[in-house]
Amino acid sequence: MLKFAAAVLATLACAPAQAKDTGLIFVSNEKTNNIIVIDPKTYKVVKDIKVARRPRDMHFSADHSMLYVACGDDDVVDILDVAKLQVVGKLKTGPSPEAFAIDEKRRRIYVSDEEGSSLAIIDMDRDAIVKEIPTGAEPEGVLLGDDGKTVYVTSEAGDLVHAIDTDTGAIAHDVVVGLRPRRLAATPDGKELWVTAELAGRIDIIDHSRFVVTGSVSFLPPGMRKTDVTPVGLTMARDGKTAYVTLGHAAHVAIVDVATRKALGYILVGKRPWGIALSRDEQTLYVANGLGDDITVIDTKSRKARVSVPVGRIPYGVAVDD
Amino acid sequence: MISLARGPSVLLILAAALATAAAQDTSPASPRPRVKIGFVEIENDPRYEPIRAYERITLKTHEHPYAGAELGVDDATALARVLRADFALERITAKSSADVAPAMLGALDAGTHFFLIDLPAEAFKSLAATLHGRDVINFNVSEPDDALRRDLCAAEFVHVYPSRAQLMDGLVQYIVSRKWRDLLVLQGPSPADAAAATVFEHSAQKFGARIVADQHFKPGADPREREQNDPTLLSAINRDFDVAFVADDTFDFARTVPYRLARPRPVVGSIDLEPVAWHWTWERNGAPQVNSRFDKKTGGRHMEGADWAAWLAVKMIVQSALRTSSADFAKQRTFILGDGTFDGDKGLAMSVRPWDHQVRQAILLAAPYEVVAAAPVEGFLHRTDELDTLGDDEPESPCHLNR
Repeated sequence: MLKFAAAVLATLACAPAQAKDTGLIFVSNEKTNNIIVIDPKTYKVVKDIKVARRPRDMHFSADHSMLYVACGDDDVVDILDVAKLQVVGKLKTGPSPEAFAIDEKRRRIYVSDEEGSSLAIIDMDRDAIVKEIPTGAEPEGVLLGDDGKTVYVTSEAGDLVHAIDTDTGAIAHDVVVGLRPRRLAATPDGKELWVTAELAGRIDIIDHSRFVVTGSVSFLPPGMRKTDVTPVGLTMARDGKTAYVTLGHAAHVAIVDVATRKALGYILVGKRPWGIALSRDEQTLYVANGLGDDITVIDTKSRKARVSVPVGRIPYGVAVDD
Repeated sequence: MISLARGPSVLLILAAALATAAAQDTSPASPRPRVKIGFVEIENDPRYEPIRAYERITLKTHEHPYAGAELGVDDATALARVLRADFALERITAKSSADVAPAMLGALDAGTHFFLIDLPAEAFKSLAATLHGRDVINFNVSEPDDALRRDLCAAEFVHVYPSRAQLMDGLVQYIVSRKWRDLLVLQGPSPADAAAATVFEHSAQKFGARIVADQHFKPGADPREREQNDPTLLSAINRDFDVAFVADDTFDFARTVPYRLARPRPVVGSIDLEPVAWHWTWERNGAPQVNSRFDKKTGGRHMEGADWAAWLAVKMIVQSALRTSSADFAKQRTFILGDGTFDGDKGLAMSVRPWDHQVRQAILLAAPYEVVAAAPVEGFLHRTDELDTLGDDEPESPCHLNR
């Protein structure tokens, strides 16, 4: 889930002391309208938190005291208190919020409104939509640049990635990518943007400075066909050497060597994995299996699935408080 | 396989190419180039007559799928901005089938190369003869007739709407996956009913199901004909069956079948579990967003198969401009008929079969409020592409446009 929020990651890296480090695993479930909280050691459900309808993307505040959850069918971002494990507030969004990024310094949330085909800029303190920027049809992945000056958004049905100036709200650049672009990650050196193109079955790599596609990564788990491969979620290790990608219909996670842009291996997970998150020590990978109603916990060293844990219906994303 | 547009340089080339196209455009007032798309229909197309009950109560309405095409153009708004080109729809409504070809030739002379064809099957033959060898792609968006794919077999057509063979194969795959092997067929008196029953029986044979009885019904209430108009008597046969298939184009008889069979068995075909190109309750592959945009656009109408096909046809045209970075019709045609893959919000990426120009696609098995399954059903395998387990695969098709 941290895949969208490079800024949040960066802030986290600077302020680990403030984190509560409960290690708790939060899973949003689209159909049961809840966040399932799992103990990282016993894999027991610690708490089942009712939230607004259709919770999807989640991000922590920089100090991990709050967890923000975009709830698509009630047009809000719910705010959860991580210590109390309960909903303590909400922010209004446009129609059907899906994914978002937080800029803590400017107290802003950038959220893709799937039905409205726009990116909304929300003032977190005033609970007000400051600006709505029209995007291509069905915007999804949102990534905030390190300097906070540019926010990147994919248009699922428009095959585009937009670069939007956060001050003016103007679309500064567009780049055409493969069929059905879903989610974004930035390499830690800031040089590349990676975007999953679900129906093209690959990742397209965008050169950050020129904003053009300069390469791609393709996948083919053993025994699968090209058409089975529908990449959606991705996350990158902090050293920028390894990326992990969920392959949707192919029911695998791919491990990618970032430098050579090659898949190093595949791990079998549950049905239609999308959401993916790494633990802070990067020893553990969590994958939400959307059509399996469970998550798979993977040991990154041995590249083996450790356990799968049942959650709610249609799990979307995973966030780890560590 | 798909060459990527690589940012500004390529877009400039495309803008230049489109500018050249604009120079040839007959409307010089237009500030930027237009890719024109004709939507072709006839007045009083019998396929769009509302289906009514005896009491003149409307059971089902069908609308021309023009709104689907409009949604396709709406969805391309951001791409149009990036490409610096417009996609413009022109609705061509002819008085009768005979008036269609002249109207299309007029539009072709005025620079339209893409047409969405919303016409009954009878109208295709003369159209194919008139447009043979011309620079057009006619996207069939509403006609499932297999003869158009097999016998007419015209290179200027792309069938976006699924063929009856694809629809029935999808239905039978699901039936067989449930281990419902013994099938009762109830078919009506119309040629369409006979065609549907024949295709269904062929699918049953293909996937290893048995037809235990093939009953011909005659709609009505005449007690002297009760053996033919009463679903209970029609299904009171010695052999047991797992499921009843009803072929009834008028829908009048089909709606009397559920709960009236001699045995408690599910009904498929024209009612209850129908194989369709699209359904308003499809929840996966981004479909809810498309359904919701369509609902909003039409003031609450449910998106149906033909609407979906018209929407996808426009998407195919937009993709061809995008991926070839070109406004050159020949290049766009090569892309659409060749390497082009398309996102139809039904999962697996779609493409055009080179032998008969049918769009490969999933078939939805829809109950009134739920898509029960999508075909290809898991376990039906194919040596190259599982979508080719549905409909006419290359070896069995009599049409060989690729040879």
